[in-house]
Amino acid sequence: MSTLKTFLLRVAASLLFLAVPVLGVWTFVTAEANGWWFPLNVSSYGGEIDYLFDLILWMVAITFVLTEGALVWLVWRFSRPDSSRAVFSHGSHKLEMIWTAVPALLLVFIAFSQMEAWSKVKIAMPDGTRPDEPYTVEKPLAEVYASQFDWRFRYPDAEGNFEGADVVESAYDFYVPVNTKVLVRLRSRDVLHSFFIPQFRLKQDAVPGMEIPVWFKAEETGSYELICAELCGWGHYKMAGKIHVLPEDEYEAWLANARTALYSNGSED
Amino acid sequence: MSRNLVTAGVAAALFAGCSFEPEQPVLEHEPNAKAIAENVDLANSPTAQDQLAGALEMLFGTPEHPGYMRLESWIEEEYDPNQGSWNLSDEEFDALKASNRAAFAKQIAAIEAGDLDAVARPRYAPDLWRRYEALVAEAPDDLNATYADTEGTWRDELVYLFEGYYPSLTATAEFYRQQCNHCHGPSGGGDGSTAPYLNPRPRDYRPGIFKFTALANKARPRHGDLMRILEEGIYMTAMPSFRRFSDAQLHGLADYVELLAKRGETEILLALDYAADEGFGGLEKVQETYEFVLDRWEKAADNVIVYDGEVPAATPERLAAGQRLFLGAEGEGANCVSCHGPTGIGDGPSAREVDPETGLERYVKDEWGNEIRPRNLARGIYRFGRRPIDLYRRIYAGINGTPMPEHFGMQIIEADGSKRALDEDDIWNLVHYVRSLGERPLEVARHDTSGNEEHAEGH
Amino acid sequence: MSSSSLPTEPLGLAPSGTVHVSHDHHEIGFLKKYVFSTDHKMIGIQFLFTGLVTLLIGGLLAMGIRWQLAFPWTEMPVLGKLLFPETGGVATPEGYTMLFTMHGTVMVFFVIIPLLTGAFGNFLIPLQIGAPDMAFPRLNMLGYWWMWPGIILMFLAFGTEGGGPAAGWTAYPPLSTIESAAPGSLNGQTLWLLALTFSGVSSMMGAVNYVTTIVKMRAPGMTIMRMPLSIWGLLIAALLQLFALPVLTAASFMQIFDRVFDAGFFNAPDTLVNNMSPEVDLGTAAGGHPLLWQHLFWFYSHPAVYIMVLPAMGFVSDILATHARKPIFGYKPMVYSLAGIAGLGFIVWGHHMFMSGLNPKVSLVFMTATIMIALPSAVKVFNWLGTLWGARIQLTTPMLFAIGFVAMFIIGGLSGIWMASTPVDIYIHDTYIIVAHFHYVVFAGSVFAIFASIYHWFPKMFGRMMNDTLGKVHFFGTFVFTNGVFYMMHQLGLAGLMRRTADPYAYELYAHLQPLNQFISYCAFALLGWQVLFVFNLFHSMFFGKRVGRNPWRANSLEWSAPSPPGHGNFDHQLEVVRGAYEYGDPEAEEDHLPQAVRVS
Repeated sequence: MSTLKTFLLRVAASLLFLAVPVLGVWTFVTAEANGWWFPLNVSSYGGEIDYLFDLILWMVAITFVLTEGALVWLVWRFSRPDSSRAVFSHGSHKLEMIWTAVPALLLVFIAFSQMEAWSKVKIAMPDGTRPDEPYTVEKPLAEVYASQFDWRFRYPDAEGNFEGADVVESAYDFYVPVNTKVLVRLRSRDVLHSFFIPQFRLKQDAVPGMEIPVWFKAEETGSYELICAELCGWGHYKMAGKIHVLPEDEYEAWLANARTALYSNGSED
Repeated sequence: MSRNLVTAGVAAALFAGCSFEPEQPVLEHEPNAKAIAENVDLANSPTAQDQLAGALEMLFGTPEHPGYMRLESWIEEEYDPNQGSWNLSDEEFDALKASNRAAFAKQIAAIEAGDLDAVARPRYAPDLWRRYEALVAEAPDDLNATYADTEGTWRDELVYLFEGYYPSLTATAEFYRQQCNHCHGPSGGGDGSTAPYLNPRPRDYRPGIFKFTALANKARPRHGDLMRILEEGIYMTAMPSFRRFSDAQLHGLADYVELLAKRGETEILLALDYAADEGFGGLEKVQETYEFVLDRWEKAADNVIVYDGEVPAATPERLAAGQRLFLGAEGEGANCVSCHGPTGIGDGPSAREVDPETGLERYVKDEWGNEIRPRNLARGIYRFGRRPIDLYRRIYAGINGTPMPEHFGMQIIEADGSKRALDEDDIWNLVHYVRSLGERPLEVARHDTSGNEEHAEGH
Repeated sequence: MSSSSLPTEPLGLAPSGTVHVSHDHHEIGFLKKYVFSTDHKMIGIQFLFTGLVTLLIGGLLAMGIRWQLAFPWTEMPVLGKLLFPETGGVATPEGYTMLFTMHGTVMVFFVIIPLLTGAFGNFLIPLQIGAPDMAFPRLNMLGYWWMWPGIILMFLAFGTEGGGPAAGWTAYPPLSTIESAAPGSLNGQTLWLLALTFSGVSSMMGAVNYVTTIVKMRAPGMTIMRMPLSIWGLLIAALLQLFALPVLTAASFMQIFDRVFDAGFFNAPDTLVNNMSPEVDLGTAAGGHPLLWQHLFWFYSHPAVYIMVLPAMGFVSDILATHARKPIFGYKPMVYSLAGIAGLGFIVWGHHMFMSGLNPKVSLVFMTATIMIALPSAVKVFNWLGTLWGARIQLTTPMLFAIGFVAMFIIGGLSGIWMASTPVDIYIHDTYIIVAHFHYVVFAGSVFAIFASIYHWFPKMFGRMMNDTLGKVHFFGTFVFTNGVFYMMHQLGLAGLMRRTADPYAYELYAHLQPLNQFISYCAFALLGWQVLFVFNLFHSMFFGKRVGRNPWRANSLEWSAPSPPGHGNFDHQLEVVRGAYEYGDPEAEEDHLPQAVRVS
């Protein structure tokens, strides 16, 4: 190969590998402006999850830039035509020790830094069913039933029973009070589904035969999409719901109204 | 060199691709094979079948351009069913505007801020976008200028375009192809690609029979009845709630389903009336049938079942009376037991019959020819509403197209030998008893479902 | 013949035609030579071409997915008419679930595993350890042919009532076990399970053979610490298969029993699917649990991820050292980290189940193990970089793909840390960031390694070189489009986009992601189109490529002392291995490479 061709190849290859960290970082930097980023968090624990994501993002980004940068530099520097031989080295014990120990420490740090948030979201439940943290005992607000391809939200009657004539059932729309720890029982009637509310940073599969407790505390009123996140059949993409976070009094009014509407005489239909 | 060419080619293809928007193929209406097969004359005459298809196209348009043929009297009255909002009352229209304001919040905010570049194209409203673009093309730079001969400004007019949006039948037909076609089929025959795997099968609109309405006398559904199905879904069937789409879109869908149903009914009636020597009886006869079908839908609203008064409480006396009626055999009670069985789980003897063709026992069939199982009342899952009034309506008027009969006015003989007709009170007793069957915890219900689950159950 | 009598000149100088190729001269018939061959090289090449054909099919299925995501519910060109004739070429919702299910299954079980372990495992193991053939040549042949019923059953599934399986490549019950749950769960799913079992048994035969051959048939002097890293990667992958595959086979049989005999291993009581209750159809309450399948499936399929990457890492190490003209940096740490990844790989399956209803306390254990798996992976990356330091890098096509592998594996490895973190996984589980992650490992990783290996070992397979210029053009385009496709998927995932969603834009949250998805789809179409260059190069070079001698790359490992292509029995002289595989650039030596079996006086 001619010298010019070799040179051009070196430049092209190095630029190509250089584009990986450059465009890679650029994509992440501009992601938020492009809308390719997390939707705004509105739950009490979502901030912690976002923080952990950012923490890992920073560690990952630095490693990414350093390793990809090193790769580019190595490709550029050591691909130049040279009649002499390569450095005859079989490795370095010292380097191996360093690049084993340092990542090990970082990884252990990452692992331990995740545990508290996980325990808060998934292990400790407001009703004390997983009593790792002292919570006031509360009853589930609702039972969420997933089925192909629908969400049903069942609110207990005034006595807190989920079986009985006065259970209020709502399709698609799930009304919850703001700034309240809401505990729901997640159930499925048929196949696996997953209860995913991106803005709450909450996801939990619904498994037939299991009754899984899920809790959240929404801190801002508004309507948020509920998405099924586990393949549940051909209509998976149709399985949507909406969570309406209402001020406490509006929520109470809605529930009272729904209980009354249950005994409607049909004149409004 | 060759590499540069290839690179340039790929780049050009990429740029060309960016402006590229593939179309969805439009599936044509399919003839109702069952209706045609029932009339031997018609089945033997491809010409007549073509004529039928042509008549239907004249009356209801094509899937690409659906629309009702306007009668002369309508034109005189300036009445046009193809202008979607014809169905809505003022209150409903206000509700629709509120819903549109929410659905197009971003677009309306951008218009109000005067930033027309920021108005994004809504995904499911091609007709709206076309009208908007046409209007924007004419709009002056100053949006505060007065629009035409109205009192408002151009800005108001642009906002109103979004606020008052009601999809055209053409736009809805496209939406239907995306969301409904794969189950309900292009002509509403319940024969889409997904349909064979569903239980119960998707509704065939063509006979014009809809199971779940608030109406008596087997009336055709009202717009509101169809809307309720779209909003609530039919629980534990493949029909989900479509509330994720805006009210305007659902209104549009209800209109389009209505059009398909009316088209199907007209097709069936015309097919039935065809005779080899007389044909379809001329344009006049066709128009008569058309008016007959449309008229039948118009009258739906007269049949709403409303209970005059408060829903009575479920007292032990009512439950006991309800149980007597439920278990009472024909003539002695409401005879629910014959299909739903003594425990309400749907294992009554009349639920099954011997198939005349195969000689095997199977569940009875509904009007659409599918096997249907009586509801397992012990599960407490009701397909269309669990309010007492919903059950009241089911029992009062029966379920269209299924063996579930109308109970209001059913003649029974009391223990003392006196004859009487079931009245509203009796129906409430039954409602409360039926609800009590489904109130038991699921676990209890499960253990006595021996051999009765819904195989090809109706709803 | 003693090795000292061999010439110390590079054997590559001798044209292959002049070398005495075969020990025995009896004529082998066409059928025996090319079809029912027991020669490991021919079986390797058979696996290679089978794998490339299934790769094309898997790629086409991916294009179907990309079309639907870019332009939902529109007429899909070419594929649409084939798969969805009744809707005029528009994907149906159940058809879409079938597309991604089959794409995943085909790629994992019929492309990556057969290409890495089947094609290169077969071709390289005897050659690199100095054996005349595999320990069990007939078993080897059976292993290849055992894969065919799998392939046939898999594609037959497309034609059954209800279409192909549609429960995802993970086949989670009850969707997969209850027939009425999805159209694809009619007979399609049973065929799928049988296909999986056939492919598993085929892999098992291969694995038994590889382990036996590597343990028992190494040439004199080939101590285990002199084995090329390719062999280490293949050995450890084979061990993973030996331990993990029986679990998958048992699980598939259990699912078959569930489906055919209503055994109820994986069905929860009181499920009411499509108004058919399995419990009532059975007459008894099912006593199973849907999560049991997930445990069994991932107990195999997580190690399977490493089966899909460990050999690739081995090949890349060999290629990097050869084309960098430098010994591999830290041979022993490389071996230990391969073993470390494999060992940890057995105790991390739960990280697929963080959201599944698994005991959340147990998740913490799985999380810690999973995060620690990044450690041996990091050690490998650092050692690859160490290999390049001070090297004399030859930017040949295989080298470019190998460096590309390292660059891409860094991305795939690093994004894995988010997934391992349980709290972050709450948000990103089952989103496109997962899709991006595993495609970086399996496509940009393993497939790049496969390309590198094809370019690198092609001269040994066919005695001819592949066109280097065309190869480089192929590399540049593939690299650019691969990143265009998969890097942007991270962004989709961060915006919350779910996998396996046929029409995501009906969600308000996802509506603005359509242009990005269209960009990805354009890149994907270009990526597939670009492979025409490779296919052309492959077939053209097979017949018209430049003829080469034994050792065109001036490499050290044993396969390069055999003729190109090697004849029956592989080697034409007695081998005695005297050093490791990576003695490049020894300042003491005359040449900058010292073949493993050549003694320098």
